[in-house]
Amino acid sequence: MMLPDIPEAAVWAIYFAPITSFLVVVGLLRHRPLDAGRFTIASIGVAWVLALWALDTVIGHDGEAMDWAAHHWFTLFNFEVEFGIRLDGLSGVMIFVVTSISLLVQIYSTGYMAGDGGYPRFFAFMSLFTAAMLGLVMASSLLQLFIHWELVGLTSYLLIGFWFHRPNAAAAAKKAFIVTRFGDFGFMLALVLIWTKTGTFDIAEINHLAHDALSASVLTGFVLGLFAGAAGKSAQFPLHFWLPDAMEGPTPVSSIVHSATMVAAGVYLMLRFFPTVEAAPAEVRDVIAYIGAFTAIFAATMGVVATDIKRVLAYSTISQLGYMVMAIGLGGYVAAIFHLFTHAFFKSLLFQGAGSVSHATNTFEMPLMGGLRKAMPVTFATFVIGSASLAGVFPLAGFWSKDEILLDAWNHDKFLWLVGTAVAFLTALYMFRAIFMTFFGEYKGGAPAEHGGHDSHASDAHDALEDDHGHGGLHESPRSMLFPLVALSVPAILFGLVAPSGFFGELVEGALPADLRHFHFHAEMIVIATSTLAALGGIGAAAAIYYAQSPRSSVIRGALGPIPRVVERLYYVNEIAEIGLVRGALYNGAARGAALIDKYVIDMAVNMVGTITKLVGDILRRSETGQVQSYTSVYILGVVGAGGALLVLAGGLLDRLMP
Amino acid sequence: MLTTFLLLPLGGAVLAAFLPHDRERDARWIALTFALAAFAVSIVMFIRFDTGVEGYQFVDSFDWIKAGDFNVRYVVGVDGLSAPLVLLLGLLSVVSVLVSWNIDVKPKQYFAWLLLLEAAVAGVFISLDLIQFFLFWELELIPMFLLISQWGSGRRLYSATKFLIYTLAGSALMLAGFLVLGFEAGTFDIARLTANPPTEAVVPMAAVFWAIMLAFLVKLPVFPVHTWLPDAHTDAPTAVSVMLAGVLLKMGGYGILRIAVPLMPEQAVEFQTVLATIAGFSVIWGAIITLRQTDLKRLVAYSSVSHMGYVLLGVSAMGSMGFAGAALQMFTHGTITGLLFVMVGLVYERTHTREIARMSGLMHRVPILGIGMVIAGLASLGLPGMSGFVAELTTFLGSFEAHPTATIFAIFGVVLSAGYILWMIQRVFHGPATEEWKHLKDASEWWEFAAVGALVIAIIGIGIYPAILTDVVEAGVAPIAAIVEAVS
Repeated sequence: MMLPDIPEAAVWAIYFAPITSFLVVVGLLRHRPLDAGRFTIASIGVAWVLALWALDTVIGHDGEAMDWAAHHWFTLFNFEVEFGIRLDGLSGVMIFVVTSISLLVQIYSTGYMAGDGGYPRFFAFMSLFTAAMLGLVMASSLLQLFIHWELVGLTSYLLIGFWFHRPNAAAAAKKAFIVTRFGDFGFMLALVLIWTKTGTFDIAEINHLAHDALSASVLTGFVLGLFAGAAGKSAQFPLHFWLPDAMEGPTPVSSIVHSATMVAAGVYLMLRFFPTVEAAPAEVRDVIAYIGAFTAIFAATMGVVATDIKRVLAYSTISQLGYMVMAIGLGGYVAAIFHLFTHAFFKSLLFQGAGSVSHATNTFEMPLMGGLRKAMPVTFATFVIGSASLAGVFPLAGFWSKDEILLDAWNHDKFLWLVGTAVAFLTALYMFRAIFMTFFGEYKGGAPAEHGGHDSHASDAHDALEDDHGHGGLHESPRSMLFPLVALSVPAILFGLVAPSGFFGELVEGALPADLRHFHFHAEMIVIATSTLAALGGIGAAAAIYYAQSPRSSVIRGALGPIPRVVERLYYVNEIAEIGLVRGALYNGAARGAALIDKYVIDMAVNMVGTITKLVGDILRRSETGQVQSYTSVYILGVVGAGGALLVLAGGLLDRLMP
Repeated sequence: MLTTFLLLPLGGAVLAAFLPHDRERDARWIALTFALAAFAVSIVMFIRFDTGVEGYQFVDSFDWIKAGDFNVRYVVGVDGLSAPLVLLLGLLSVVSVLVSWNIDVKPKQYFAWLLLLEAAVAGVFISLDLIQFFLFWELELIPMFLLISQWGSGRRLYSATKFLIYTLAGSALMLAGFLVLGFEAGTFDIARLTANPPTEAVVPMAAVFWAIMLAFLVKLPVFPVHTWLPDAHTDAPTAVSVMLAGVLLKMGGYGILRIAVPLMPEQAVEFQTVLATIAGFSVIWGAIITLRQTDLKRLVAYSSVSHMGYVLLGVSAMGSMGFAGAALQMFTHGTITGLLFVMVGLVYERTHTREIARMSGLMHRVPILGIGMVIAGLASLGLPGMSGFVAELTTFLGSFEAHPTATIFAIFGVVLSAGYILWMIQRVFHGPATEEWKHLKDASEWWEFAAVGALVIAIIGIGIYPAILTDVVEAGVAPIAAIVEAVS
């Protein structure tokens, strides 16, 4: 608030800084890995400093949008395409989140990715991702947002498939892109629909028109279309199943792309169009809220049974995104952003913690870990902070943001509040289950470097130059990895404290039209009490299950019948989608049928025409058989046909000339 | 200027054909020189093209056949619709010569035919007279037939013949249609016909419309007259595939926008729903069959059926945005599919197989080819930042209001295209490297880099700055849209 307003050019510089590092790394630093990493960190560092300035500016403006005109890109008739920046409370916060986490993740990666043969490529892709994500959150038009949305999808594809030699990674990358594209089908329809009805892509203008100028059916189609896109990106049921597989990518990627930023883009999209969502029929918002709530609890149950620590975090991410989506459906604009904001930090922290753990043990399988508390005190402490924050333990960041969502649910829909509270219990349960399995008890030996599980880090870095970890004793990760862990612990602890002052709510509400600003901080004791009880109950349950050990848990399993098995198989969604729909219905069903018809009906019909022509040709020519002859005969037929037409024509002309 | 563009490849063809036998390898240098010269002319033409001027530009003409009232004239010219296609032809012809650099079977004949092909297609794009248009349209068949049947692979004679029969069947009807139109109006001059199109004829105008349309729809091609395309592509040499997918298919779309729609606007408007239905169906049909393909080249070929459906969809909207989308899609598809075929050709040259199932992990051995294929693939699936996106989006924006259902189908085609492209990349380039392909050598020749680089620059350049094309295209389709709007 001491600084002057940020000029527009400086905000563009935030966007172009990572583009520059992408181009420089690709063009000049391909063979100088260390410099590639340093240059990327420096560029994103510059972007981060400018992002702080931008945040300061929007705080100074109470979150209202800066008055910057858009720039002309191209025109085609009445289709005027412009590029501009919308800097307001919402995008200012997002720019800050993206640059902060990106910077820390790049630093972390210099340790985690050390020695990988694709080190410069990694930083190039990460730069491109950061640029695309920044372009997405800054966009002033829906089209500009969509373009970056797709580019974010591209970089996610490239990063999940970073170790493309591994079939699992290659398959996961493809799956992520296609499943999200499925959602983008809805997004594109929304895009085409809104332009057809309004002739504009400007976000502010669409939000304005939604208020009174658009019919309920258009709004329904538009909002549901956008939501389909959001559901793909933010991994909402039934498009959620790509995200756990995306964990095939390097862990730093999971820590930014698949937890903190890209997957939050769907939530951001709905928030960007919050006035339009509010204007849509109530049923539309109910659909959003219930899909969010269902996703939240559905994913949480899978988190409870997963044994791969990264997958636990992936389910947790899906579940927490469901929370945010539910908040949007309930009209909880501030609550959704606030949770997005705090979640970004503690989830990034948790993923980096998981990466740190696997750095030592060569595995992500929790049953192979255990007892890491002593050897890895910093990782342990930060992981507990992140987990407690996620579980909603007072007064950590997650407590405040989760509480606001639950409060919105309490006020609008008691059933969803109940679901949300159950999710809070499950969240605490699976996170502390993970902590107990990973850090307590005896070390189970991890995985040997060469036979690491499919997720193992050391087998990823197949060209590893530096392999000082592995068989030897457990060890804490290098400082380059610990620094980001510690740095992320600060927001995971403190960032919730901005809630009671109402400052955050006012800042992000500045992005809304005045009539939609109605946030005021409010605490409902019963909501706080139940959610805290749920969190503590979850932690207690995790401890009880862990210390009671296997006999008891097998008793529990037995009592639940087939349910645990169904959950462990992820409710068979993968099977239904991949084997049932894609492989069965599409590939072996429709596509196969179409290919057969194409070959045996359509092409055959044509060949039959050819054969008949050839027969005619043979009769006409009385010559030996052969393909070239049929060419000639068709030519003759053609000429005959044309001649016939000419005759008809001449006849017609004659008729006219000489009546 | 346009006559120069037409004569350069023709001259090169003659020169190449008459090379002494012991120097026949030099044919490629002749071909490259003349193709480059023609490309340079097309660039100058494109830069000097004035979007503010109505009507045709760079017009050359003289009377050719005088027969009483009917003058058959040589007349060439371009407008905003044909100018981008002339530029595309110039570019792809250079690329075709480059990717033929290693042809050693009868090289002088090969390059002579290739240049003749360029000249014939050029004639189609710049002719402003129906009879002249038809002659060039037919002329293109001879080099195509010979190139596929002589220098192709597999069932090349079958495929070449099939290509020929299809086109001839269509063009016989087209000629009949042209004659009806021309005699009815008393002229074959396209500009004059466009200004005063005949509204009735000795046969129902609807019959004339469909006679002419059929030839163009076969060429495009769309369902159900598309089955010649995969065969022709699969068995053609790489350069011919590039020309076929890149510019020959555009003759169909160009013909629709240049002749069928402006000369018979009432019929075009009347049958727009039929066209939209064919288009939407074609997009989906082409895409799901592409999913099943096991041959790399056939896969790309079938994807063209799907992508050319967008052109017809844009046309069927019968409005300025849809036409613009169709015109953009023709240019961008030319560059993108051109690049896909170049990459497939370069891979095939090394592996001597196109069986997708036999390949794996090629990214390890031939990373440059892999990156080229990934760029081409991403462009093909409509990734923003590359040329295809703008064209597809414009088409959808143009067609949604008139034909929402067909547009929704077409948009779903975009999802499917991501499926077949990424799955292909996963199977061919990703995964573990196998012993079998250990010996493969990555791109290293200058002509490989030149061919791939030129197309990548075109794809990304237009993707980032579409205004290069959009202004010209707008000038080109606006008068056609005005004609259509006047009757609807």
